[in-house]
Amino acid sequence: MKEGLKYFTDTHLTSIGLLLFFTFFVGIVFWVFRKGSKNYYNQSAQMPLEDDL
Amino acid sequence: MENRTAQIQNITYDDGIVKKFMLATIVWAGVAFTVGLLIALQLAYWKFNFNLEWLTFGRLRPLHTNAAIFAFAGNAIFAGIYHSTQRLCKTRLFSDALSNIHFWGWQLIIVAAAITLPLGLSQAKEYAELEWPIDIMITLVWVVFAVNFFGTLARRREKHLYVALWFYIATIITVALLHIVNSIEIPVAFMQSYPVWAGIQDALVQWWYGHNAVAFFLTTPFLGLMYYYVPKVVNRPVYSYRLSIIHFWALIFIYIWAGPHHLLYTSLPDWAQNLGMVFSIMLWAPSWGGMINGLLTLRGVWHLVRTEPIVKFFVGALTFYGMVTFEGPLLSIKSISSVGHYTDWIIGHVHSGTLGWNGFLIFGIFYYLVPKLWKTELYSKKLANQHFWIGLTGVLFYYISMVTAGITQGLMWRAIDPKGQLVYPDFIETVTRIIPLYWVRALGGSLYIVGYILFVYNIVKTIKSAPASQSDTVVEYAAPAKSEQITSPEQGHRKLEGMATVFSILAFIAVLVGSLIEIYPTLSLQKYLNPEQMTEPYTALQLAGRDIYTKEGCYLCHSQMIRQLPDDVLRYGPASTIEESMYDHPFQWGSKRTGPDLARVGKKYPNLWHFRHMLNPRDITPNSIMPNYYWLAENNTDFFILRKKVSVMKMLGVPYNDNMLANADRLAEDEAKIIAEDLEKQGAPKGLERKEIVALIAYLQSLGQKAKVAAPVAPQK
Ligand code: HEC
Repeated sequence: MKEGLKYFTDTHLTSIGLLLFFTFFVGIVFWVFRKGSKNYYNQSAQMPLEDDL
Repeated sequence: MENRTAQIQNITYDDGIVKKFMLATIVWAGVAFTVGLLIALQLAYWKFNFNLEWLTFGRLRPLHTNAAIFAFAGNAIFAGIYHSTQRLCKTRLFSDALSNIHFWGWQLIIVAAAITLPLGLSQAKEYAELEWPIDIMITLVWVVFAVNFFGTLARRREKHLYVALWFYIATIITVALLHIVNSIEIPVAFMQSYPVWAGIQDALVQWWYGHNAVAFFLTTPFLGLMYYYVPKVVNRPVYSYRLSIIHFWALIFIYIWAGPHHLLYTSLPDWAQNLGMVFSIMLWAPSWGGMINGLLTLRGVWHLVRTEPIVKFFVGALTFYGMVTFEGPLLSIKSISSVGHYTDWIIGHVHSGTLGWNGFLIFGIFYYLVPKLWKTELYSKKLANQHFWIGLTGVLFYYISMVTAGITQGLMWRAIDPKGQLVYPDFIETVTRIIPLYWVRALGGSLYIVGYILFVYNIVKTIKSAPASQSDTVVEYAAPAKSEQITSPEQGHRKLEGMATVFSILAFIAVLVGSLIEIYPTLSLQKYLNPEQMTEPYTALQLAGRDIYTKEGCYLCHSQMIRQLPDDVLRYGPASTIEESMYDHPFQWGSKRTGPDLARVGKKYPNLWHFRHMLNPRDITPNSIMPNYYWLAENNTDFFILRKKVSVMKMLGVPYNDNMLANADRLAEDEAKIIAEDLEKQGAPKGLERKEIVALIAYLQSLGQKAKVAAPVAPQK
């Protein structure tokens, strides 16, 4: 562990950031396309239109 | 699953508070635009400051930006959020009292800003200039807003949070985080303070804040408003709700990292610059996802663009949003930044954002809301259409003139002839070349204001035509039988969205990750410092002069950061180092070079040169557009407070010795005498030793002279 950390420099922060983001992003994409969500999203999208006030 | 019959409940929305915020928006918009036009004219012809210290560029520019961001956009955001949230939650706002405290508190903050900024009471950090008592007020009012908003969410009758509400939540949380971290400061006097951050730390924190003020004050709340009002006005659901979710998470996650793109080629460590650049470029994708989602909501009803001014404004706003979010990542590419940074290109960029995207969205929403809330018809559609076309012409004039000015000046600065010499060594040449474009910009701004006047007239006429008795909107809400409520197949998901708290925490984590990774490494500034190039702290008199520099807002026209670029090094000297600004609370790197960089101006000219130049720059440089600073030779320096200032600096880690702590005022007076005598010998009037100008000269002469080794950084390539 300590050995490994020795090679860590601030330069690696960019790669860590990118890695975090891509994991997060792929997760969300899978999440919104999960089975059976379509109906639910269609209904949510109607929320602003329910009244005319 | 019980099957009750629907129950009818009456909900009375609070329309009064929405109306108040709308009227405040309209009034402050006038102030923001007018001050903007005034300072635009000052750059075309300096006498537009009427030779009054309160109206000089350095004092009024913060007033303009604060008024545009926090007064114009701010009040509009609150109006839109309070209006749409009640309707999306099917409940009245949590507390009428909090709503009113929020309203009046915010107006008080703006009035305080409008008084203190022209007086020069400023922290000299862009878009965070307001001094500590006002910073505390902002924090308190923001907490009131948050309690009121989350209280409303907690009381909602709708199970689900529509995506607009997500954007509002992210706004409230992140703005609180940004404001608090960037404003950590130690008071020196009632209206003066020093930030705890210094040098590259302060630069990184400031631009993390500055960039995300754009992201979380001028983007996320407006996207939330877009997701509510665009579907509402055209009466169709958003093009893709799925896309809106991806848009939301990707945007808030990425935005928070992008700040360092304001600091490319500076002495900020390379890893931070690259981080900022990479994430800025990625930002293009979610931004366009949002724009496309908004525009495609209009599928099938495009004909409305021709007839409905509201839809025109929305399409205009989204188009500008698309342009700005394309240009932003472009400007974050290092090689493009090297031309655009410090020039008017950036000014053009931000104005196509605020005037085009924020302004047009606000106008569109207001044309929709005023007749609705005042229960009447819009006075004139024709006027609203004219407003759109005149405003659009104004923004285009503004944008095109500034991009041209920026690229022209950027290319002149970097032009090097075959012998390796600057083609335009006189800075002023690069200024006079773009003066005509400053006039065109002022024309563009004037047109935008003409459009605004039409808007005000139209709104006033509309309100006048409203029925005299105004009442809040009452809706009948049929609480659906439980089995009819929107249910998703998965319980887990409903829980996530049903619980605003959990959602808020997730959003908070998303912005915290980037913030921590970016800022944490520079908290221990020490590891970036080269012990052989350590800097000497300012003398007491130089410190006094520095405070005059920040008070006058010199940083709004002058940078103090020589970039690692051949032309910067040729023009101004060796690139700036981290050590040189290590004691600078706040840092003064600047973001715009209306005048030349001052990082190494020390010892470049004799004291008398500065004396004459400060009193009347045109005495030395005939075409200069810098203001006269004659009052600096009339006002006295406050020597007495120097001991306090030095002790606060010491507390922040600047190594002052005991003699300095005990005698700062006397040491400063001695130093002032020497400079005053020198000035007198050269022919300046007698008795200047207590005047502010002497302190300022002491500071200017110290710039670039403090580092023990002025490290010659080899220019790249
Ligand atoms: C409206 C923008 C503006 C403001 C505000 C401004 N300046 Fe300037 N300054 C200029 C321009 C343009 C020049 C170049 C022309 C000249 O020499 O006057 C300049 C030149 C200078 C120079 C000469 C630099 C050199 O290397 O030749 C100094 C020193 C200077 N300014 C100091 C200040 C100080 C101190 C303040 C604040 C009290 C200030 N300026 C505020 C625009 C500005």
